[in-house]
Amino acid sequence: MEEVRADGRNGQQLRPLVCTRNLLHRAHGSAQWCQGDTIVLAAVYGPKAGTKKGENPEKASIEVIWKPKTGQIGKTEKQYEMILRRTLQSICILTIHPNTTTSVILQVVSDSGALLPCAINASCAALVDAGIPLKHLAVSVSCGLTQNGSLILDPSKVEEQELQAFVCMAFPNSPVTVLPEASSSKEGEPMEHGIITSTSYGSMSVNDYLCCIEYGRAASAKISEFLRRSLETEHNP
Amino acid sequence: MEQRLANSWRMSVNDKKFIEEALLSDIRIDGRGPFEYRRLTIKFGKEDGQSEVQLGHTHVMAYVTSQLVQPYRDRPNEGTLSIFTELSPMADPSFEVGRPGELAIELGRVIDRGLRESRAVDMESLCVVAGRFVWAVRVDLHIVDNGGNLIDAANIAALAALLTFRRPECTIGGEDGQEITIHPPEVREPLGLIIHHLPVAVTFGIFGEDKSLVVDPTHHEEAVMGGRMTTTVNSNGDVCAIQKAGGEGVMPSEIMRCLRVASVKAAEITQTIKESVDVYNENRSLRHIKRHLKSAPVEVRVPERGTEGNETGGVATDFSKLSSSEAGGEDAKPPKWDPPSMGSSLDSIGSPAALPGSPMVTKGEEAPSGDAVESTEDPEVKPLTLKTPSLKQETQSPPRTLRDAVKAKQKKKKKK
Repeated sequence: MEEVRADGRNGQQLRPLVCTRNLLHRAHGSAQWCQGDTIVLAAVYGPKAGTKKGENPEKASIEVIWKPKTGQIGKTEKQYEMILRRTLQSICILTIHPNTTTSVILQVVSDSGALLPCAINASCAALVDAGIPLKHLAVSVSCGLTQNGSLILDPSKVEEQELQAFVCMAFPNSPVTVLPEASSSKEGEPMEHGIITSTSYGSMSVNDYLCCIEYGRAASAKISEFLRRSLETEHNP
Repeated sequence: MEQRLANSWRMSVNDKKFIEEALLSDIRIDGRGPFEYRRLTIKFGKEDGQSEVQLGHTHVMAYVTSQLVQPYRDRPNEGTLSIFTELSPMADPSFEVGRPGELAIELGRVIDRGLRESRAVDMESLCVVAGRFVWAVRVDLHIVDNGGNLIDAANIAALAALLTFRRPECTIGGEDGQEITIHPPEVREPLGLIIHHLPVAVTFGIFGEDKSLVVDPTHHEEAVMGGRMTTTVNSNGDVCAIQKAGGEGVMPSEIMRCLRVASVKAAEITQTIKESVDVYNENRSLRHIKRHLKSAPVEVRVPERGTEGNETGGVATDFSKLSSSEAGGEDAKPPKWDPPSMGSSLDSIGSPAALPGSPMVTKGEEAPSGDAVESTEDPEVKPLTLKTPSLKQETQSPPRTLRDAVKAKQKKKKKK
């Protein structure tokens, strides 16, 4: 059932990942994440004093601004902003800086499929670059169900248009602890089996969805290892 | 959220005084001369019409797109050019999302006047069917980092993007000559825009009592300066636009001197832009030669639903050499991840140190079919990130040897 995709990958291969941090001079933290040809640039400013009206002043709040490549800001952008905001809220430690706002601004540089996962990964790296306290990182990947029933990871734009359904998932990064038994398991399942965000488009059977999650989890381990390595090399001179 | 005082950036009096005093002796804080530009780098994206300009710390991206629309009533045989400027909150904490502020509007207008009203881009060639269909070219400028002198940087970005933009070719057909077929780029080569001249904006900052002028003010100098003047000139010596909106007054003789300086600077910048565009066009034509995958995809061993597909047992190619010899840090290293099962692999996932430095690096190639040809490759563990702010650039010019070219051909044949 292994079919070859247009760019030569098979169903379980991700596109090459590139992560660059500290690109911008005015922003407190910035990162650019490339998955193949999809490139997203994220910048973080924060924490800034004050929260918006209606926000809880006892906690820090996160503000996400999504800038598309061309065109007006519409519903898709607002939806992305909302998904990102909720994802990032669950990974930041919000009680450390109450009554502050951290802004995450994303700029789509080029879109070739898997835009939302790329954005989540970029904003995570940017938050680390800015030094915002986080519980753990979020790594994100998308997985799609093709017309003939096979699952493919990290679909490109052309592939996305022909998919029956696809899911964008964000998983917590696997933690590295000094203690041998990581205090990171809940009810026997390790923490990185948890899923922070899952957005699906199109209809698929429950089995297929669960398989997508399995695929995504495996891929997230790979991405998480890449992310950790890229962050580490930065800080070890 | 209204701007709290705590969030706005203010320059201290010491800094201000220092900059002013230094300018009295013709010294600028970054060591430049008063008529010197910062370092200018122009890069292009993968598609036509995408450019990225860095002028010192200022970073601007431009995207050009086109669409078929109905023309304006009073100009039925001319296309339209519209420029949209986005002062992204990414660039400066004081830029707010939503309604564009004064600075954004001024920036948009200056660039608009320079490009459109000086007839730099030929509009009549954008007409397809007079009165019915014309091409509307849209330039989106995204200011990503504000390091001062946004107008000049944005102008250069817009010019570079317009020079490399290609619009699809269309033919008129149908019974009554009103049907238009737009050919996709694979079928017919897209056409570039006709650009008559390159209007370059040169901004001067006006400082202090003796109204000294400096070119290309940085962000700190902008906070100190008394006024600003932007002159848009081209390399033929024509003045396309001048913008001096308020601020300190300047003697007319000074303005003439500025224009002379500006035309010299414009010639230099035009040269730089043309050189970068030439390099881009070269790479573009090279890219049209179909080549194999450059960088290898990242492989993920997934717990199969059924068959444990042991794909690509030993396919590693010479292409790792190509991908790793690319400039700087665009390394997309596909490490091998091989847990026997999900349960036991968790420990190894956690710490990268525990990950085995596997001797075999598997890479996915075109068709991981049975005829795995090549020898295994040494793992090339390279750091994946860099501190340098270079964006990934799709070029086809890594240092290649003849051997690589020969090998590529062989691979192609063998795959059959």
